[in-house]
Amino acid sequence: MAGMKTATGDYIDSSWELRVFVGEEDPEAESVTLRVTGESHIGGVLLKIVEEINRKQDWSDHAIWWEQKRQWLLQTHWTLDKYGILADARLFFGPQHRPVILRLPNRRALRLRASFSRPLFQAVAAVCRLLSIRHPEEMSLLRAPEKKEKKKKEKEPEEEVYDLTKVVLAGGVAPVSFRGMPAHFSDSAQTEACYRMLSRPLAPPDPLLLQRLPRPSSLLDKTQLHSRWLDSSRCLMQQGVKAGDMLWLRFKYYSFFDLDPKTEPVRLTQLYEQARWDLLLEEIDCTEEEMMVFAALQYHINKLSQSGEVDEPAGTDPGLDDLDAALSNLEVKLEGSAPTDVLDSLTTIPELKDHLRIFRPRKLTLKGYRQHWVVFKETTLSYYKSQDEAPGDPIQQLNLKGCEVVPDVNVSGQKFCIKLLVPSPEGMSEIYLRCQDEQQYARWMAGCRLASKGRTMADSSYSSEVQAILAFLSLQRTGGGGSGNHSQGPDASAEGLNPYGLVAPRFQRKFKAKQLTPRILEAHQNVAQLSLSEAQLRFIQAWQSLPDFGISYVVVRFKGSRKDEILGIANNRLIRIDLAVGDVVKTWRFSNMRQWNVNWDIRQVAIEFDEHINVAFSCVSASCRIVHEYIGGYIFLSTRERARGEELDEDLFLQLTGGHEAF
Amino acid sequence: MGESNEDIDQMFSNLLGEMDLLTQSLGVDTLPPPEPKPPRAEFNYSVGFKDLNESLNALEDQDLDALMADLVADIREAEQRTIQAQKESSQSRPYSASLDVPSFSGAASLGYAANVAAPSISQYEDDLPPPPADPMLDLPLPPPAPEPLSQEEEEAQAKADKIKLALEKLKEAKVKKLVVKVHMNDNSTKSLMVDERQLARDVLDNLFEKTHCDCNVDWCLYEIYPELQIERFFEDHENVVEVLSDWTRDTENKVLFLEKEEKYAVFKNPQNFYLDNKGKKENKETNEKMNAKNKESLLEESFCGTSIIVPELEGALYLKEDGKKSWKRRYFLLRASGIYYVPKGKTKTSRDLACFIQFENVNIYYGIQCKMKYKAPTDYCFVLKHPQIQKESQYIKYLCCDDARMLNQWVTGIRIAKYGKTLYDNYQRAMARAGLASRWTNLGTVNAAPPAPPSTGVKTGTTQANGQIPQAAHSMSTVLGEAQRHVETTKDKKPGLGSHDPGAPRAQPLPKSSLPPPPPMRRSSDVGCGSPGMPPKAKGAAAGFPAPPLDLLPPPPPPPLEDDDLPPPPPDFSDAPPDFVPPPPPPSFAVDAGSSLPPPPPPPPPALAPEAAKQTPVVVKRPPAPPKRQANPGPPGGGGGEQDFMSDLMKALQKKRSNMP
Repeated sequence: MAGMKTATGDYIDSSWELRVFVGEEDPEAESVTLRVTGESHIGGVLLKIVEEINRKQDWSDHAIWWEQKRQWLLQTHWTLDKYGILADARLFFGPQHRPVILRLPNRRALRLRASFSRPLFQAVAAVCRLLSIRHPEEMSLLRAPEKKEKKKKEKEPEEEVYDLTKVVLAGGVAPVSFRGMPAHFSDSAQTEACYRMLSRPLAPPDPLLLQRLPRPSSLLDKTQLHSRWLDSSRCLMQQGVKAGDMLWLRFKYYSFFDLDPKTEPVRLTQLYEQARWDLLLEEIDCTEEEMMVFAALQYHINKLSQSGEVDEPAGTDPGLDDLDAALSNLEVKLEGSAPTDVLDSLTTIPELKDHLRIFRPRKLTLKGYRQHWVVFKETTLSYYKSQDEAPGDPIQQLNLKGCEVVPDVNVSGQKFCIKLLVPSPEGMSEIYLRCQDEQQYARWMAGCRLASKGRTMADSSYSSEVQAILAFLSLQRTGGGGSGNHSQGPDASAEGLNPYGLVAPRFQRKFKAKQLTPRILEAHQNVAQLSLSEAQLRFIQAWQSLPDFGISYVVVRFKGSRKDEILGIANNRLIRIDLAVGDVVKTWRFSNMRQWNVNWDIRQVAIEFDEHINVAFSCVSASCRIVHEYIGGYIFLSTRERARGEELDEDLFLQLTGGHEAF
Repeated sequence: MGESNEDIDQMFSNLLGEMDLLTQSLGVDTLPPPEPKPPRAEFNYSVGFKDLNESLNALEDQDLDALMADLVADIREAEQRTIQAQKESSQSRPYSASLDVPSFSGAASLGYAANVAAPSISQYEDDLPPPPADPMLDLPLPPPAPEPLSQEEEEAQAKADKIKLALEKLKEAKVKKLVVKVHMNDNSTKSLMVDERQLARDVLDNLFEKTHCDCNVDWCLYEIYPELQIERFFEDHENVVEVLSDWTRDTENKVLFLEKEEKYAVFKNPQNFYLDNKGKKENKETNEKMNAKNKESLLEESFCGTSIIVPELEGALYLKEDGKKSWKRRYFLLRASGIYYVPKGKTKTSRDLACFIQFENVNIYYGIQCKMKYKAPTDYCFVLKHPQIQKESQYIKYLCCDDARMLNQWVTGIRIAKYGKTLYDNYQRAMARAGLASRWTNLGTVNAAPPAPPSTGVKTGTTQANGQIPQAAHSMSTVLGEAQRHVETTKDKKPGLGSHDPGAPRAQPLPKSSLPPPPPMRRSSDVGCGSPGMPPKAKGAAAGFPAPPLDLLPPPPPPPLEDDDLPPPPPDFSDAPPDFVPPPPPPSFAVDAGSSLPPPPPPPPPALAPEAAKQTPVVVKRPPAPPKRQANPGPPGGGGGEQDFMSDLMKALQKKRSNMP
C-alpha cells in the first residue's frame, strides 16, 4: 500500500502524488490526488479514485486517459511504471463511451454513444450493431467537413436530431426482433420513430436544398471527401474527436456482401440513401437515360414508403396477385349473381372501345389527327372509320405486344397523346392516339403498357397502373409547372412531389419540370410493379452498374512523374487517372498484386504486381494511411466467405490496414 | 419455309391416315381387354384434356380442405359434362382433330395453323370452346357452408394457393407447339416438335439425344435470316416458340444446330473481355496466360455480385446511316443501360453521352457480308433490331467494327448487358450438361454394347412434313411431336397402363412457361440407364450416375441388377427425347404405392424384379422398329410412326381411364 509514513509525516516508501482529473478533458474539472508508487496497478488506482471521489455512481465505463501520450490506460494489471507514468502525467478519469452525432447516409443526424477508447473498427461495429446493420466492416466514419463561414443571414433551420444515447444493447447476444423491429428500438415512441427513420427511405430532398449543397465540379473535388476518413485502428479519442462532435457514417468500401433485402431493412435503406445522394449530388455521374430510371425508382420507392406499405413478401409475387384478383372476383360473384358471371369475370378479357383521334406519320403527308372508332381487345388495337363499321374489317389492326409506348402529354395544354411504336415484320410503325382527357388517357395508356408486355387488361395490375398514371398526371399538374420554389418540407406528400427533387441539379438546369415528368413516367412503367425492397435493390444495382461506381479518388504523385495524378481505388483494382482530362491511364488489379508497402517517412506507397511490375506513389490529397487502409480493406473484404457468417476476423483487418502505429 | 402448301396439306392428310390406322391397331393389338376400342373423337379429346385431367389428378393428391375438395369435384364434374357434350357434338365430324386451340397464342399461331390444317380450323373454332374455359362454365356454386367466416385468413390463403394451382394447370392445358426443322452441320435436317414452354436449352438437350454429338457447351441453336443477312445464336434461356413466332409465314429463315465458340467465350476466357485494355497490345500476352483460378475469381467478381459487371468497352465504330449505304464513324461506349455515343464536340464523360440504343427491345445479330451488301468498311458487323422486324427497315441498326476481336467483344458485351446473370447461369447449366455427357460416354463403353445401330438420319414421317415450322393443329401436333420423340418408348408405357403415374411426374414440374421442362426426362434417363438424357445439374452424382434431381425420383437401381431383366436400351433410345415418359420401374412402383412416393432405394424390393421381368418381352419385341420406320415412312407401313402414335394413344387412354372411371 502506497503512502506509508513515519511519525514525522515523511513518506518512507517511494510513493508520490498523482493528480487525476475527473471528467472529459476539462482542466477546470474537479481533480483528486492520490498517493501512489510506481508499483501501483492501474486497477488499484481506479479503485482509489472512486473511493476518493466518494460519490455513488456507476463508474464501470470510466477509464483513465493520458493526455500527453494520447493513450487510454486500459490494462488494469499494468503498473504505472510499466506505462511509464510519472507525477507530471495529465490524467483524466472519464467515460469511455461518449455521445457523438452521426450524420447517417440518409443525411439525418443521430446522437448516440460511441466508444472513444476502442479502435474505430470496433466502435463502428458496435454502432452498426445498435443500428442493426450487418457487415460493419464496410462502413466507417469520417470527419464532418469544416463549415465555411458563409453568409450568416441564412440561418440554418433547427435540425431534428434523433437520440439513441439512452439505448443500451446487451452485449454478445444477437438483437431480438420485436414488433417488426429489433427489440431495443421498441422501448419508446421516440426510438421507434428513430427506427422508422433508419429503415424507411426518406422523401426526396427539396430541390432548392439540392442546388445549395456543394457538389464536386471536378475529379479533384471528389478527392476531398476521402481525405477525411478516420483511422480504423485507433480510437476516436486518439484522433481528436470530442464528445458531441459530428461525424459522418458512410459505406466506405464498395463491396457489399450478401445483401439481403428481406432481413436487413436498415442496411438496405442506408445503402440506397447513400447511392441516391451520390447521384443527386453528382458524386457519381450518369447519363440522362440512367438518371430517368433512378428518378423513377426514387419516385416509386417514395410512394411506397409514404403510403406506409411495409414490405409484404406476399405482394411480390405477381402470380399471386393474379390469383388474389381472380379469387376476390370469384368470391364476389359467388355471393349473389348467376354462375355465368363467374365465367365472364374469369375468361372474358375487358376491352376498351372509344372514339379516339389517330395520327399516323407518313412521309409526305400533312394529315393530322382523324377521328376513328378504336377497339382495344387483349393486346390488339383495331381501328375503324366509324362505329358502324366495327363488325367489319378494321382499317388497321396492330398487335401491341413488344411495342414501345411513349407518353406525349401536356397537362396544361390538355394534350394527352400516346405514341406507339409497333414492331412488325416490315419495321416499326408509328402511331399516335390522342385522348380527350386524363381519365381516358390513363385507361388506354395502362392498356397499351400492359399489352406491350404481352399482358391484357384482365391483368390484376391494370387498375393500379391506371391509378399510377393518374397520380403522375396530377403530379405534373400540381408540381410540374413550378420551379420548386413553393416551400416543401422534406416530407412532401406524393402528390406535391417535385420531379426536380429526383434528379441531379444539372438535369434541373437542362429540363423543365414538365419535360422531366413524362420521361420519369416512362421509365416508371418498367419498375411500377416492384416492392419497396426490390425497388431499393434495383436502385442499388443500377448504381453499381455505373462505370464509375465504387471508385474512391485520391491525388497522388507517381514516382518519376512530375505532375499530380489521380489514383482511383475500387474494390478490385487501382486506376491511374489523368488529373486534367479524366482519362484512365492504367489499371492494376488486386488479383495480380504481390505485396504493398508503405514508407511512412516519405509517405510513399509502393506496390508490386505480378511479373515484376512495380508502382510507387506518394499521396497528396489524403494521408497515405488512408490509401493503405483502402487497399488493405479491400483485400480483407475479398477474404470474406459466406460460410463464416457474421464473424469478423478483426485481427486480420487490423493487420492489413494497420502497421503504422510505430510512427 | 420454301415448301408449298400442298406439301403441308399432304402431310396433314398423311397424318390423318396414319391416325386412322393407328387407332385401329391400337384397339386390336395393344390394348388390354378391358379397354373398349376408343372412337377417334374420344381419343382426341383425351389428348386435348390430357393436361387438364392430370392437373386435376394432382389436385386430388393435395390435401385439400373441404372447400377445395368441393370445388375440384365441381370442376371435374363440369369437365366431364363438357367432355360428354363435346363428344356428342363432335362424333359426327371426322376431322375434329384438335381441341387444343391455343387460345392465347394469338394471331400468329392461327396463321400457321391455317397453313397446315386449314379445313379443320374453322370447325373447331366455331364449335368447340377452348377447353380451359369449360370447367368454369359449368361451375355450379360451390357450397358456401364449408367456409365459415371465422377462419378467414389462413383458409383464404390456402384456398388461394389451390386456386392458383388450378389456374396454372388450366393454362397448361393449352400449349402451343411447333414443328421445327433444324438444319444440321452436315446439311441434313431434323424436324422436332417444340412446345411453347421449351427453352433453347431444352431443344438443345433434345438435339443432343438425337445426334449423339459431344454435347459440349459450344453447341447452339442458331437462327439465320438469309434475306437480311444476319444471324445469331439463341440464348439458352430463350423461348424457342416465341422467337419463331416472329417469323413471317413465307420466311426463308432457318434454324441451325451447330457449334459456335463465341457463345460462351466470355466464360472460358473472361480476361479477353474484362481485362482487355482497349486494344493495348502489351496486355494481350499476359491475358492469354491467365490461370484457371484467376479466371474463376474474375467471373465470380463480374457475375456473382449484387449486380453484374458489364465489360468496359468503348471505341470508334462505323454506323450505317438510316436508309443509306454510307457509314459514319463515331465513338461508342457500352454501359449497362445501353450503347451511347459521344456527340460531336463533346467529351466522353457520362454527362455528355447521348444514348444510341437500349437493349430492352432489341436482339443482337451478326451481320454477314455487309461489305458487299451495304458497302460496309469491313465485314465485322453487328446488327441490332427488334425481334419482330423481318424485312429491311430503317429501324435496324448496323454497326461495323475494325476487326473480329472487337466485334466479338461488342457482341458479347451487349449480350452481357442485355441478359446479365442469366447468361452465366446458362453457361453453368451447359457445362453441367456437357460434363454429364462426357461421363456418359465413359460409362457407355463399360456397359454392354448397344444392340442396334443408331438411326441417326431419323427420316421420320414428320420429316416429310415439309414446313419448317408449320403450326400443326393441336392434338395432331401433340401426337406428331411425341411420336417423333418417343420412338422407343412404347414399351415403357405398357407396364404402366392404367396407372396414374404418367400424370404424376408431369404434375410435378408445373411449369410457368419459363421453367425448363420436366423431370420425367431425367427419370427416363436415370432408370433407362442407356440414354444420355441426364439431369443437367447432377454434377456431383456419385459413381458416375446422375443423381436424381427430384426427390420423388427413385435412385437408379444398380445396373448389374437390371442387366438381366432389361437389356441396355439400344442407342435409339436416346432418340427418344427427354421430356417424356417414365421408364419401366417407376410405373410399377407407382402402381404399388398408389402414389408418386419415392420408391425404396437401390436394392429394389422383390416386387420390382418380377415386374421388370414381365416388361422384358415387350421390350424385346420392338427393336426392329427404327429401321423399318426409316425404310417405310409412308402411312400404310409406317412401323415407327405407328409405334409412336400408339405410345401416345396409350398415354392418352391411360390418363383418360384413370380420370374417367
